[in-house]
Amino acid sequence: MGVKARAQALPGHEINVDEQRGLSVDGLLPSTVMRPEDADDAARGLRLCDLAPAAVVVWGGGTQMALGAPPRKYEVAFSTERMTRLLEYEPADLTCRVEAGMRLSDLQTALGAQGQRLPLDPPHPERATVGGMVAANTNGLTRGRYGTVRDWVIGIAVAYPSGKVARAGGKVVKNVAGYDLMKLHIGALGTLGVVAEVNFKVQARPEMEATLLAQFDAPETTLEVGLKLAHQYLAPAAAVVLDPDAGGWTLALKFEGYAREVRAAKDQAVRFVREAGGTLDAAEVPPAFWDAARDWSTPADDDVVLRAIVPLTSSPRVMAAVPPDARVLAQPASGLVDVRLAAPSAAEALSRLRLAAGADGQVVVIAAPAALKQDLDVWGPPPPGFPIMRALKQALDPNGILNPGRFVGGI
Amino acid sequence: MDAAIREDLLGRIRGVVGDRFAFADPYEMRLYQYDASPETALPDIVVIPGTAKEVAQVVKLCADAAVPITARSGASSLAGGTVPVEGGVVITFARMDRILEIDLDNLRAVVQPGVVNLALSQALKPQGYYYVPDPSSQGACTIGGNVATNAGGPHTLLYGVTVNHVTGLEVALASGDLVQVGGRNAAEAIGYDLTGVLVGSEGTMGVVTRIWVKIQPLPPVQKTLMAVYPDIATASNAVSAIVRTGILPAAIEMMDKLSIQAIEAASHAGYPLDAGAVLLLEVDGTPDVAEELGVRMAKVCRENGASEVRVARNEAERQALWKGRKGAFSAMGRLSPDFYVMDGVVPRTRLPETLAKIDAISERTGFKICNVFHAGDGNLHPLVLFDAFKPGEYEAVLRIGDEILKLCADAGGSVTGEHGIGLEKRENIRYVFSGDDLEVMDRVRRVFDPQRLMNPGKVFPAGAMEHAHPAPDGHPRRQPRAAGVAGEDVWV
Repeated sequence: MGVKARAQALPGHEINVDEQRGLSVDGLLPSTVMRPEDADDAARGLRLCDLAPAAVVVWGGGTQMALGAPPRKYEVAFSTERMTRLLEYEPADLTCRVEAGMRLSDLQTALGAQGQRLPLDPPHPERATVGGMVAANTNGLTRGRYGTVRDWVIGIAVAYPSGKVARAGGKVVKNVAGYDLMKLHIGALGTLGVVAEVNFKVQARPEMEATLLAQFDAPETTLEVGLKLAHQYLAPAAAVVLDPDAGGWTLALKFEGYAREVRAAKDQAVRFVREAGGTLDAAEVPPAFWDAARDWSTPADDDVVLRAIVPLTSSPRVMAAVPPDARVLAQPASGLVDVRLAAPSAAEALSRLRLAAGADGQVVVIAAPAALKQDLDVWGPPPPGFPIMRALKQALDPNGILNPGRFVGGI
Repeated sequence: MDAAIREDLLGRIRGVVGDRFAFADPYEMRLYQYDASPETALPDIVVIPGTAKEVAQVVKLCADAAVPITARSGASSLAGGTVPVEGGVVITFARMDRILEIDLDNLRAVVQPGVVNLALSQALKPQGYYYVPDPSSQGACTIGGNVATNAGGPHTLLYGVTVNHVTGLEVALASGDLVQVGGRNAAEAIGYDLTGVLVGSEGTMGVVTRIWVKIQPLPPVQKTLMAVYPDIATASNAVSAIVRTGILPAAIEMMDKLSIQAIEAASHAGYPLDAGAVLLLEVDGTPDVAEELGVRMAKVCRENGASEVRVARNEAERQALWKGRKGAFSAMGRLSPDFYVMDGVVPRTRLPETLAKIDAISERTGFKICNVFHAGDGNLHPLVLFDAFKPGEYEAVLRIGDEILKLCADAGGSVTGEHGIGLEKRENIRYVFSGDDLEVMDRVRRVFDPQRLMNPGKVFPAGAMEHAHPAPDGHPRRQPRAAGVAGEDVWV
């Protein structure tokens, strides 16, 4: 019995081959779609794929499908689109449990109704799912202040190719029982199992928010002020360096917190900007400004986006290696430099940036057209500990059905 | 362990670390048979390596001989995490206690596993920075041990526990490889987050030899309040009320009547003796922000039944309030010759009913139970008072502990918030994880340590995972010693 027939035999899974085109990944098309209804159903579906064996690409909202190397094989599109429930939410505990397919904006709306939020702001929250955010470890511009996905996930349920659902962590904010397997799946791009449910801790919405835009002549000064702010107790929630679209280099700062705290942090930033010879942008910042900055690194067009992940002090060196025709968005408090450029100059820029990032840093292609990806080393050299990573893959997905070839080092 | 095998292994290990730093004399090894938990077991050999390379070589020698390896440093584990229950080699980090680098520009420090937690913050303080996780044992516990247990502390409510502050590790694996995972970089480094998996694995995957941690600017001011309540239920409701206002303090600690009496007798922290419960609250901030939050919290405390709210007016008063809390466990010696401490967690909203149930257990069994705990995150530390010399009391207390953990798990919580599963709770782990959950964890463990030689007998229920290496014949059976001996420094 072929995969398609097996999938049909499974209750709750329908096949709609017309959707193939929408589920293309790097030019490859699936022959089957599975849409499990919950964690157990997902595990049953994966078991069938494993028996076949059939190569699975896991789908959430599809905002990060350009991430990773092209899959070696792709037979089953495994979508979490029916797993959208908010399973538990106790505002007084500041915790919730959600299914992986829930849209991030839907979760934020539910939390917002209680004056709370998940302080993670990855790109395109109206499409991105909770599971996709975990699998791709997508983080937004406030990562310097609030940390990343790993700092907010307190529990997880994962469906494995063995047909089992296994959990780790729990529903409480402090918990060291058993191994922290949440960490294993965050950023694993679904190569070790399919994230089916996620438990988060959440926080109260800040009392006040404020934005400050400053202009500088040179990128070095802009970065320098951003870095200096990262070392302050009253650091901004987000600090973003933008290349000159018009005029000089911009340092965009977002402040959040208690009202007095926000005012004090803003005053401090104004002082730093003036001391460094920068000018303050008096114009009102449009509300869409931060959304655009957040989504900047996942373009809808054919642009290539390279991301350097480096120690804080290496950012200036990386910035200096950015080709003049490229666009830049840097987050000095997090050691991230995103570079957006047209396809033809990508390969050369990539090697220059990797050189600049040095041994402590990494440069990843986070978006590129399929044709170009064949020629680019998307992840770069395997990181330290890679043999362990390969062994983990072998231990949890022995037949290699999950996103084969998309992850680091061909995993 | 067979004497000939031990002699042979000892000789090889001495070839690596030198004669002085490896020994097998039972008298000399007595110190290494216990930690801050009630259990003891003698190792076969103790090694005090001086470098990461030596650690890796020793680990390889042990793995080749299929001998268990248990790493230890401060040995303040309350869960028996460093008790070498299956014998074998204990590696202790007394000589690997250096801060290797303080990199203020990148907000990182690099330390050896034997660095005492408090020593790092003290080294950073003159520059205006600190390392956040602050277990109450921070004057004795080490960063290596903190990594093993994913240690918490009072101030992790706002800033997160150890794993949130570790970005890289160097680890010696059973293969003999010395592997670096993560590093100075951001937490978003590519590949699987092996650092995140290793933190909290209680030494069952490898032996950590170097740690990269985040450091952050010290808060300008820490405002500490004490709020006095007639009973623990009112105090618990006040905690929920504070959380509802949107203020998240850096710490919310609670002590019940019995604890207050013990603490006052021991350290005169200034807690009122007639109180049913005391809350200790702390906020960080600039002076005016901390001041404002202090006033707001005091108001909420009063509106929710506090008979008195006292604000520490200066650092000395603040330290006095904290001294009482951090010395709470040692103070129990004033009430009882022994105590047994649990580390359950419940969702904040389940605190009042859980505490009432613990109270009922105390009533039913006749054992006094004190409660000193991290109320802000629902992490309970019930202390069951007993006398180890009275026959049957220790066994009865273990049963009470088991019952308390079961009720925490049933309330949607966990059996350990910060002490680790260790030896103590390896059966209780079944209250929160299924066989399938544990099976996946064991698979992950065996990727790092195929023979399960690293800290065997911990975390997993006895016999649940097929044992690759039964305890060697003739090894002395572990013996419970008197738990939490009065006057000994024990923290939580």
